[in-house]
Amino acid sequence: MAPSRTSTVKSKHATNKSGIRNSKTSTKPQSDGVSKSKKPKSKGAPPKPQKGASSLAALKKKRRIYTEKELGIPALNMITPVGVEKPKGKKKGKVFVDDRESMMTILAMVNADKEGQIESKMMKARQMEEIREARKAEAEKRQEMRKSKLDETKEGIRKKRKRHSSSGDEDKENTKQEAAAGTKPLKPKKKSVSFA
Amino acid sequence: MRPLTETETQTLFAKLANYTGNSLKNLIAPLDNSPNADRYVFRLHQSRCYYVRLSLANLATSISRDKLLSLGTCLGKFTKTGKFRLHITALPILAEHARYKVWVKANGEMPFLYGGHIVKAHVGRWSEDCPEHQGVVVYSMNDTPLGFGVTARSTQEARRLDPTGITCFRQADCGEYLRDEDSLFATS
Repeated sequence: MAPSRTSTVKSKHATNKSGIRNSKTSTKPQSDGVSKSKKPKSKGAPPKPQKGASSLAALKKKRRIYTEKELGIPALNMITPVGVEKPKGKKKGKVFVDDRESMMTILAMVNADKEGQIESKMMKARQMEEIREARKAEAEKRQEMRKSKLDETKEGIRKKRKRHSSSGDEDKENTKQEAAAGTKPLKPKKKSVSFA
Repeated sequence: MRPLTETETQTLFAKLANYTGNSLKNLIAPLDNSPNADRYVFRLHQSRCYYVRLSLANLATSISRDKLLSLGTCLGKFTKTGKFRLHITALPILAEHARYKVWVKANGEMPFLYGGHIVKAHVGRWSEDCPEHQGVVVYSMNDTPLGFGVTARSTQEARRLDPTGITCFRQADCGEYLRDEDSLFATS
């Protein structure tokens, strides 16, 4: 760092000493990065005539000059998130609903919404009710079938018994067997073991 | 005291529409046909919503906010999450426009007014075709509004219910005027 600085200073002095004022070399050091106390003087001066000139030009051409605020240029050159930036020209704070028309529209909307909800609820309830009814009917039917089957078998047994009783022999044994078998009297009991 | 915003109005109407039918629009209808007729408006004051005549609301602006305790009819309260909770003080308005109703027998009035739910044995009459979880207004047998609640079962299902089964969940009852005397109108 140090040597380079000295070198620049050196060169600057050199140019100053050279005496050539309008030469390129004499003006160059002002444009490079090193800041000097003398600089503002030279920098401050140019805008004045420029501004005056531009205003004159604007007056002549009748062109409007926009200020930075009007253009809406962000202060920092960076991306601002969508939510952060406040919308311009919009009312600050809450927006109240106090007129009858807007209230009516909101009410109509809400009412329609509720109506739909109730309707769907009713439909659902009705469907469920139908399903329940169908299931109940089916269960009843099944019960009926089972009962009729039972009756049929009962009747069958009763008839069988009557026939047996009419034949006369081995009636006592049969009745005993049936009583022991209970609800399954149709299965003929096989005698498995016989001692001859 | 301020008017409601759009979302607040929507929330409030959605809540009221749970209990009332289409006649709710009469709530904000002008009182007569003259061009500058007085009408009822909703005003929010310290998170409570009031149903109040516009002329009265305008008069109330002359009272400082912290000194103003109440005006008109208090409908309920906006919670901090933005939901709306109806108070028992809204009962006269709900009863006027009620869609579904439940009438309780004389023996069921006291249990309800003490904060109990309505069991089937206490129901004298109910609106037909009422779905499940629907807001209902509870009346005594001589048509005095006692409170409001939400149905536990639809009307058809409730028929099959045993006598001790709950048919309507209580949400607010007139007994609150005594039980919640301290907090019902308190401003804090």
